[in-house]
Amino acid sequence: MCPLRSSLSIRQARYWARGSKPRIIRTIEGLVIVAALFLLIVEVVVNGGLNSIIKNGLTPELPLFAVFTLGRMTIAYALALAFALSYGIATAMSHRASHVLLPLLDIFQSVPVLGYLPIVFAIFLGTGQTANPFGLQIATIILIFTAMAWSPTFGVIAGINAIPADIKEASHAYGLRGVRYLRQIVLPAVYPELVWTSILAWGSGWYLIPIEEYFPFNGTPQKAGGLGQYIAQASANSDIASALFGLIILVGIIYAIDQLVWRPLGARAEKYKYESTAAPRTTATPRSGVSEGVRRAEDRIVAPVRTFYKSQRSIVTRALEVVRVTKLLHATDRLKFPERISRIPFWGRLLSYAIFLGLVAFGLELLIAPRSESILNALTVLAANVTAFQLIGLTLFSLSRLVTAYLIALGWTLAAGILIARSQRFSRWLVPIFDIGQSIPATALFPLVVIILVDPFRNTPYLGATLNFASIILLLTGMQWYLLFNIVGAVNSVPNDINEATKAYRVRGGRYVKQILIPAAFPAILIGSIQAWGGGWNALIVSEYIDPNANVPGLGSFLVQASNIMNNPLLTDVEIFAALLAMTATVLTINRLVWRRLLRKADRYKFEA
Amino acid sequence: MTQPNEPLPDIKNVSRPADPLLEIKDISKVYPGEGKSTTVFDDINFNVYKEFLCIVGPSGCGKSTLLRIIDGLDSPTTGQVLFHGQPVTAPSPKIGVIFQTFALIPWKTVLGNVEMALQATTVPKDEQVKIAKKYIQDVGLEGFETAYPKELSGGMKQRVGIARALALQPEVLLMDEPFSSLDALTAENLRQEVLEIWRDPVYATNCVVMVTHNVQEAVYMADRVIVLNHRPAKIVDDIQITLERPRNQRDPAMFDYSDRIISKIS
Repeated sequence: MCPLRSSLSIRQARYWARGSKPRIIRTIEGLVIVAALFLLIVEVVVNGGLNSIIKNGLTPELPLFAVFTLGRMTIAYALALAFALSYGIATAMSHRASHVLLPLLDIFQSVPVLGYLPIVFAIFLGTGQTANPFGLQIATIILIFTAMAWSPTFGVIAGINAIPADIKEASHAYGLRGVRYLRQIVLPAVYPELVWTSILAWGSGWYLIPIEEYFPFNGTPQKAGGLGQYIAQASANSDIASALFGLIILVGIIYAIDQLVWRPLGARAEKYKYESTAAPRTTATPRSGVSEGVRRAEDRIVAPVRTFYKSQRSIVTRALEVVRVTKLLHATDRLKFPERISRIPFWGRLLSYAIFLGLVAFGLELLIAPRSESILNALTVLAANVTAFQLIGLTLFSLSRLVTAYLIALGWTLAAGILIARSQRFSRWLVPIFDIGQSIPATALFPLVVIILVDPFRNTPYLGATLNFASIILLLTGMQWYLLFNIVGAVNSVPNDINEATKAYRVRGGRYVKQILIPAAFPAILIGSIQAWGGGWNALIVSEYIDPNANVPGLGSFLVQASNIMNNPLLTDVEIFAALLAMTATVLTINRLVWRRLLRKADRYKFEA
Repeated sequence: MTQPNEPLPDIKNVSRPADPLLEIKDISKVYPGEGKSTTVFDDINFNVYKEFLCIVGPSGCGKSTLLRIIDGLDSPTTGQVLFHGQPVTAPSPKIGVIFQTFALIPWKTVLGNVEMALQATTVPKDEQVKIAKKYIQDVGLEGFETAYPKELSGGMKQRVGIARALALQPEVLLMDEPFSSLDALTAENLRQEVLEIWRDPVYATNCVVMVTHNVQEAVYMADRVIVLNHRPAKIVDDIQITLERPRNQRDPAMFDYSDRIISKIS
């Protein structure tokens, strides 16, 4: 064999082994940063952007703004962590409580995070023209909390569910109970999941920052003070240079936190992982750092979702089991089986819907009670102004844009996933680029898209078309990463023995893609799709409404317009609630009808542990 | 290139000095590691004829890697493998492989898994189904054609693996610890059946290379045993097992062979 080739591959492999990045990746990361800086410099030199950055009265405030934003994020995260641990432990430790807590959690996380925004603003800011600054700060923290809370909670539940039965039995046998059990068994078991889901939570938090710090409410933008406000305000003034400058600082902070906090924590998490006693991998083929990294990324995104859906059980099967009385004995027998413990009974789901609707009614009551209005009155006002037909129409408009964006995202991510699986060289190039792309909160890009796609077309007949186009692009930025990382993770984790068998039996080219890669990615495509649609619904609210003269019909723009109705506060409130309920109902319906059904089918496409 | 179809003897035995089917020449494998690279094995040389050959050695000596290199799934750091005098660079349809972990595609049925091996050949489509069904029947899985791997026991899964390999009617069958993921009883039954298939003149396969760490299994099944030692592994022994078939597990001569092999390994 050619000695040069082997020595080259040895050197490459050593790079991975040391855990340092190969030069090529550092080069790419450098290139991306240089490209962004280049854009800024061009803007600065050609358009005199430096002037606008200097003239921007907020620029001297940037360090303070960074502290504000970080402080807000940290407080909200602390709250989210406390919530996740208590809710998660309660759910996982108490069988009966889980019947209600689990579906309730599912409903809450189905409400698009940005949908909470107008409600929280309305509750904390009231309807006065000048907002109470303290209320505004509380509102922003609560909003970030609503974005952060759900995934760590699922992480805690998944972590506790993953404690192997023998460990539970051993700790029981050695008298580990109560607080000691919690500290010595539960918390360490939860730790890895908690780290991964916390990274996700911070991602959702960052996503919200550019919007909630500068949100038009009661007709005027509410300025909370922070990096998000800097970016949003700059682009509202069509000041690209400042917007880019703010964006670079924001991404720099996100990147620094990733390196300083999450990387070390993630490395520690390995210690707490339970070894799986799966069949040994016989081959000594070294795995590349890229695929390991991607696999871990996939694990942390997928595991909580998967564990959650595992515990779901269809109403239909349940009903069938009750009807077939002869099988009753069999059914109760199976219920004793540990895996069945967290299955959700019908009453639990019903109760959780009732609780949710109760909370919604309570929220509405809270809003309108100070003006001594009744819910009945509110409903009459709503019925007088908005028809159900109108709401359904708006939902369908939004859905059509979401479907378009989803199909585009699915198409390109699947192609990228296949390319990455087929070629190590491609994966070395693409993965770091995706990594950086994904760390930019999509909402921070919104203003730029608006400046490029919308502003030049104002007062032209093309505005409608470009607005729809911009809206779909914005949805895409909110959807694509979930799909991409899930798919890349899946195609990279096809077990070695399967890959070898396909090679040995010469399953290659198109056949390999069709028969192995796509089926192997199927469960990941589903989980990625669920998350992508979650992201899409979030993006919907900001993607449909840019300003009173530039918006497309849909639930999102309806929601924003509702929060800006000046003369009828009651109508504002009920319209917000109606839009939010319509959205949540649509999300839940799609989850039930499409994803959950497909997920049940996906079982066949999973590799045995 | 192919061997003439000579009438098969009652017991397929070593037919040296005929041309070797496989020649393993000066093979070595080096894995790059932290700072220092690891030599898994070095200077491996042997020929394989029409015989049942077992490669035994302690874990980590690179037995499985050697088998993968023979199939063209992995490439050696130095040296080469010749199959009928031609260098092996990629898997060939004339060589079938059976994996320790079965390596069945979970979303394909038993039939689909067996057919998979035939799809890369020139066999016409309808013929493929017929052949696949025949071999599924031969390994005793008739009626399970539409079952998924998940629904099968370990022993049945490995039968699918065997049917998949045999369906190609390969000249050489490579087996990587085929019985070590099975329980003792199932493994014992399957060993018998593999030997019967190998000795049955109906099957074109008369060369088997099996990797195992189970010395008794090697002595029981093989015509010839190649022994590797600890890493960096070298061939420390090459023994002809001349016992009559069918063999008796309790034959004292078997223990003599086992003792000799074990003493070489440690």
